[in-house]
Amino acid sequence: MIRRWGYVGITAVLAVVVAIWAVPELGRDTVTFVTIGQTGPDGGPPLPSLSPDLLIYPGTAQILLLAVGVGLLVQIYSTAYLGHHPRYRSYALVIVLFLIAMIAVVGTTNLWVLLVGWEVMGLCSYLLIGHEWESPVARAGAAKAFLVTRIADLGLVMAIIVIGETYGTYDIVGAQVAQSEQPRHATLIGLLVLVAVVGKSAQFPLHTWLPDAMPGPTPITALIHAATMVAAGVYLAARLFQLYADSQVVLTAMAVVAAITMLMGALFAWVQTDLKRALAWSTVSQLALMLAAVAVGDPEAGTDHLLAHGVFKALLFLGCGCVMLAVGSSALSSMGGLRRRMPVTFWTMTAGFAALAGLVPTAGFFTKDSVLHAIERATDGDRGLAAGTAWVLLVVALVTTFVTAAYATRLWVLTFFGAGHGAGPHGTLGQDVREAPLAMAGPLVVLAVATFALSVGQPLHLGTGLLSTVIAVAGVAAVLVAARRGSTLAWAPRPLAAELWLDRPFSRWILALGTGASRVVVELDREVVDVYPRGGESLAATISRGLGLAQSRNVQRYATVLAVGVVMLVVIGVVVS
Amino acid sequence: MIVVALAVPFAVGVLLVLARRFVPSRVAAWAGAAAMAVTLALYALVWEGSEGVSGRVDAPWIEPLGARLQLGVTAVSWPFALMTAFIGLLCCLWLVADDTAPALVGLVLVVSASALGVFSSLDALLLFVFFELALIPMWFVIALWGTGDARRAATRFLLFTVTGSALLLVGIVIGAVRGGSLELIDIRPDAVAVVLITLGFAVKTPIVPLHTWLPDAHSAAPTVGSVLLASVFLKLGTYGLLVFVEPSDHIGVVAPYLAVTGAFGIVWSALACYAQDDLKRLIAYSSIGHMGFVVLAVATRSDVGVAAAVFGSVAHGVVTGLLFFAAGSMKDRYGTTSMTRIGRGLYARTPWLAVTFVLAAVATLGLPGLAGFWGEVLSLRAAYDVGEVLSRPVAWTGLGLALLGIALTTAYVVRAVRLLAQGEPVPSDADRDLEVREAVVMGALVAAVVVLGLAPQLLLDVVQPLSAGVLR
Repeated sequence: MIRRWGYVGITAVLAVVVAIWAVPELGRDTVTFVTIGQTGPDGGPPLPSLSPDLLIYPGTAQILLLAVGVGLLVQIYSTAYLGHHPRYRSYALVIVLFLIAMIAVVGTTNLWVLLVGWEVMGLCSYLLIGHEWESPVARAGAAKAFLVTRIADLGLVMAIIVIGETYGTYDIVGAQVAQSEQPRHATLIGLLVLVAVVGKSAQFPLHTWLPDAMPGPTPITALIHAATMVAAGVYLAARLFQLYADSQVVLTAMAVVAAITMLMGALFAWVQTDLKRALAWSTVSQLALMLAAVAVGDPEAGTDHLLAHGVFKALLFLGCGCVMLAVGSSALSSMGGLRRRMPVTFWTMTAGFAALAGLVPTAGFFTKDSVLHAIERATDGDRGLAAGTAWVLLVVALVTTFVTAAYATRLWVLTFFGAGHGAGPHGTLGQDVREAPLAMAGPLVVLAVATFALSVGQPLHLGTGLLSTVIAVAGVAAVLVAARRGSTLAWAPRPLAAELWLDRPFSRWILALGTGASRVVVELDREVVDVYPRGGESLAATISRGLGLAQSRNVQRYATVLAVGVVMLVVIGVVVS
Repeated sequence: MIVVALAVPFAVGVLLVLARRFVPSRVAAWAGAAAMAVTLALYALVWEGSEGVSGRVDAPWIEPLGARLQLGVTAVSWPFALMTAFIGLLCCLWLVADDTAPALVGLVLVVSASALGVFSSLDALLLFVFFELALIPMWFVIALWGTGDARRAATRFLLFTVTGSALLLVGIVIGAVRGGSLELIDIRPDAVAVVLITLGFAVKTPIVPLHTWLPDAHSAAPTVGSVLLASVFLKLGTYGLLVFVEPSDHIGVVAPYLAVTGAFGIVWSALACYAQDDLKRLIAYSSIGHMGFVVLAVATRSDVGVAAAVFGSVAHGVVTGLLFFAAGSMKDRYGTTSMTRIGRGLYARTPWLAVTFVLAAVATLGLPGLAGFWGEVLSLRAAYDVGEVLSRPVAWTGLGLALLGIALTTAYVVRAVRLLAQGEPVPSDADRDLEVREAVVMGALVAAVVVLGLAPQLLLDVVQPLSAGVLR
């Protein structure tokens, strides 16, 4: 017990240090250029180094505090949720490593430090998804998550190399200064960054790893796959925005990716039969909304929504963990009627679902409102994005708002309501279904309070605010009415239930291709490439056998050869002379 | 100083081989370790700075040929030498066990010292002599202490390398005649000689398709043999390319082929790795991929390329050394390196061994923050820059292949981790976690991997001011 709280202590120390560093920066909206990267002797970028170059930009202090805050809450939560696991030590230490990596990503201006943090986060995600490595599902999910994100990360590696070659520095601030003097290679840099973002933030078409990462422990999902790591993709897009802001190609590609992903994720979330997987799809959809804000030229709106989403989605996942602990499964069919047994979980998750649906007065409403407002402003066509694209994006975002409100309500109803106290396999709720212990319920309350507290001081845009509220309320009402009429809320057309078969390329084709290619290579290596040594061997053997014939110990033959040789030499000598 | 640093392991090694019947195993191993420690310390102390040559020794040798005993280390060779001495020391420590043959320790010392001689030679003929000197003891190491069809693998290794050496010698002679001296900085190989020299080192590096000796030799060799082959012997090839081919005016003749075959080798070996069941063969193939990055970097002929090649070589030395030691630990326990026969769930069966293996595996896939990454990323940067002699389509083809190779590398590493570390544990009687000697050796390498990964400047600062000054 004491050792478990030791890890909480380590995390708390980390959180306090970060808070001391970040809190004074909260109100600042200017940045002092402390470090400008040096260039190498011949004008090229210097060789890479990992000097920390810590710097807080406007807006990043909040993200740092979010990361350590959720990290601390997750550590506390885990003492109860996973405390008796035999591998608790490695679990807790990897969380600490993850937090350090996240701080490195957010708090530095050195692109190499950012990259190291970025990839270490990916590694920690891999290790933690695979924490239950005895189970095949966890192993497969971990491998897939690591592979997909790492391949996408090559985009970031190349982006950093291109930034270095273009602007002669690996310092973000330095690159931004150089860019404001003479912008170059915006499209190339932007597209490469977009590849990395699409992978890390699980956007279309690299989105399938995130739902498959759900076999990981639920607190990990809350921390890594909702609040911090996946959101780091959006953070990166926002942080490097200036470098590609001039490129309409990049912004359009980003908008298209965001539009496809947000609607798709929301629809997939609606049809899920598993609470955790539904929340994962919801995360995918919400990340797309943040990315849309970046695409329309308002990265601050994106990072604001990142913050609010980080809080309420962590709340929802941790709540989901409480429910899972109580009923022993994350399937929606084993839940229902839990609101009286688990009042704390019920009320806090209600706040979370309200924020997800975008209802006043939660933080989710205000930040989503800002994003919608940003998209609406872009429809005039002079913010980099073509007016038509922005209109399409706006319409998709509003439809998504409706679907989001609907699936949030559906999940809320199926988890906590229901006539017969649980439509589960046992018919009624067992006696052991009760509220989670304090270490788990406490973080929920903190996060629920934060869900409301974060709305203080948020801007309000009346037009879009009203519109989105009407749409969200319509979505909520539609589902509530349907539920009241006795619908099971199980409307799931086959293509949606199969998630549009978008996983096939990853789960089958690429795998088959790789396996086939590797077999061919091994065969070729053995049978074809090895031909010349074997050919050389048999050639040498043939020659030696041929020469061996000459040494037959037969004096007559020696004499014959000798005579023929002499004759030939004489003939040659005569002819040549 | 360098003479002493070379003489000590040579002398101790030869003595151990001669007196193999009279020396107890542990004493032999400790004597070897002491000798290598002396060498490592001397090489560390000899450094005078990146400008020029450190610890220069110059004595007449074969006057009629103009060959002189010229020794010294430069900004390029010093990291190679330090890495070699470090690995040699760890190999001797690894052999501190009751069943070690004293002669094996002796051979390890001779091999390490010969490789050090290659890295310390400033005279081309001397370099060639050391280059050949390392081969024969290696044949004995593989053939006598190897497993499986070790004799055949050892002979294949020897024949491949000797064939390469023959080409190399012709190339060196041509270069020396044209340059008027056997000193490395004076050698001026023409186009034909550059092709010959490149082929000679390409066998050693190895570059696909001249690599087929490597998986056999590496998997048949005993643990220390595999480590020396991968960490030190392959570096003889990359170092040769760096010293002979990279500065040559005629590199343009071979550079496009080097770039494309090097990068192609990354993809090829990664695919081959994906289908391996034998862990040691897998590591052997992965070495080909890492050397592909180095070759690509050399082919660009740029300062960044040199830095990439040196860093890539040294990093591969420590990372792959660690992997082979981990594989050796498994072989000592389970008598096999077949991943299906070792069985799943090492995380539960031998936790520390499994964690070390996973760390090494992650380093080998080039995770930023560990040693393997910087060599790769500098290679990518050199290829993106195109460099002096390549054309952009060629360089970027190499870049594309290298990126594809990195992706495939991740795939086979994840597969290996899944097959060995994860999974429902299948307990075996042989399950026991790291012994002290294993923990010491692997701990030292883990420290090196992490330090080089987090502080790449340590090495880059040595190489960086090199530019054109030292080698040419």
